[in-house]
Amino acid sequence: MHATIQKPIEEIIRHIQPEEKVFVVGCNNCAWKCHSGGEEETKAMARRLIERDIAVVGYTVPGPQGMSLCKLDHTRKVLQKDYADQTAQADSFLVLGCGQGVHTVIDATDGGMVHPGCDTIFGGETISESDIQEFCSLCGECVIEYTGGLCPMTLCSKQLLNGPCGGAENGYCEVDKERPCGWVLIYERLKKLGRLDLLEPYQKPKNHARWSRPRTLKVSPHEATFCSQAGKVTVNNQI
Amino acid sequence: MKVTSLYNKGVFVVTGEVGPVKGAVSRDKNIDPSCSKEARFLQDYVHAVNVTDNQSAVMRLGSLAASIGLKERGIEPIYQLTCRDRNRIALQSDILTAYSLGIDNVLLLTGDHIQLGDHKEAKPVFDLDSVQLIHMAMGLRNGKDIAGNSIENPPDMAYGAVVNPNFVPLELQLMKMKKKVDAGAEFFQSQAVYDADLLERFMEKAAPFGAPVQAGVVVLKSPLMGKFMNENVSGIQVPQSWIDEIASVNKLDRRKKAVEMTARFIRSIKHLVQGVHIMPLGWTDIVPEILKQAEIDIRQSAFNWRLA
Ligand code: SF4
Ligand code: SF4
Repeated sequence: MHATIQKPIEEIIRHIQPEEKVFVVGCNNCAWKCHSGGEEETKAMARRLIERDIAVVGYTVPGPQGMSLCKLDHTRKVLQKDYADQTAQADSFLVLGCGQGVHTVIDATDGGMVHPGCDTIFGGETISESDIQEFCSLCGECVIEYTGGLCPMTLCSKQLLNGPCGGAENGYCEVDKERPCGWVLIYERLKKLGRLDLLEPYQKPKNHARWSRPRTLKVSPHEATFCSQAGKVTVNNQI
Repeated sequence: MKVTSLYNKGVFVVTGEVGPVKGAVSRDKNIDPSCSKEARFLQDYVHAVNVTDNQSAVMRLGSLAASIGLKERGIEPIYQLTCRDRNRIALQSDILTAYSLGIDNVLLLTGDHIQLGDHKEAKPVFDLDSVQLIHMAMGLRNGKDIAGNSIENPPDMAYGAVVNPNFVPLELQLMKMKKKVDAGAEFFQSQAVYDADLLERFMEKAAPFGAPVQAGVVVLKSPLMGKFMNENVSGIQVPQSWIDEIASVNKLDRRKKAVEMTARFIRSIKHLVQGVHIMPLGWTDIVPEILKQAEIDIRQSAFNWRLA
């Protein structure tokens, strides 16, 4: 999921012009889990804006629960059909969701003016209702086969691929004494699994062209094509 | 002079370390930057002097400029090059530049993280790790850049690397050390050690890799510094006994005490390693006395080398 956190309300309203009519859009999937743009937060945002003398023409969280704002056809239907009257009056859309959601609203409104209401901070695992943690940096070339599934691009502050730097102390990272060194985690896990041999081969430098932006993915039931500056990669899903 | 030529002759290699100035070098040739002044104390007492690369991620004069400055003054530099601030293009270009300007020794490192320094909002690069950097440097020596293109006049410098004997679990650090040796590291300088037994246990495991190791020795200047290192410098633990001993004398006598303690420690470990790397943290002037009390005299070997 895409973890998001709301921007401070003062920062949000600073970008809204006098007389500007705002429609607030939340997301019923990731932002709902992050309490940054679910139904309650979206409703609350409308109230908070009104309390600050901002003209709010409506709000919605395209549902049902679990539905992502970034699913364009659905969001378009909700904004252009279900909420047609209110969105027609809107000068802008305040989006409580990730950056993908913001862009979805641009597409769903055929180029409407948007305000990002959140900072998109990482892609994460929902450990519990109150705890979201990052385990993958979306690098486009996954190397965790040899680290027991723990990502050195994410869990190591220096993104080292061939083992730890000299800086860890008592198993904690030199950058943050409260966070375990990713390489010590990898070592301990592989030791437990009896697979320390996985760490022995030299790992060559990453192909950062696969981490270029923007990237695209074209999908069908039988194949997918990933396109980055490293070129096109097509994979068959069936045979 | 490549330090590897000393190892090849079985010489016990002694190196020091200076950090480039926070600022530029004056155009007035009569004004020596502080790093050169410090290094002058080391001249004739050590074989070579490391020049750190924006150490602790604190922005300073470039390591290469300072290294060349030492070379011009007759002091052999070991140019430190880290992955923190350069991608693979810049790293290779700097290796070629270093060789072209007369550098003979390069220490290839990952580098301290930006969060430890004075520019915390900078973008960390870390395009390569230190093992990949050594690999790439060896590629250049063999006439190929990392993309496989041929290069003219391949650089020929001694490549060093670092290792931390204090690391827990040690097995993991040794695994990385082995990768560095396999990649082409020709000598190692260790992170600061204060415990002879720990170093002995480390060397038992590291010796089979066949690469010479210099024990890193950081001069403990005050009890406060020991406390600070334990709290803030990652990968180093100063034992309480060291802190107590330097605290046992008053401020005026600390240099003398630091000489005595450091020399005693070096005497106790020199049979374990192939050299020492002394990091005096500004107190470069006491290094000659440390070496004297540690019964290490490089002048003989340095002289031999000059004859050769
Ligand atoms: S290696 Fe890349 S794709 Fe794999 S988990 Fe790490 S960041 Fe994600
Ligand atoms: S201490 Fe561990 S996690 Fe932190 S930068 Fe070094 S190897 Fe990576």
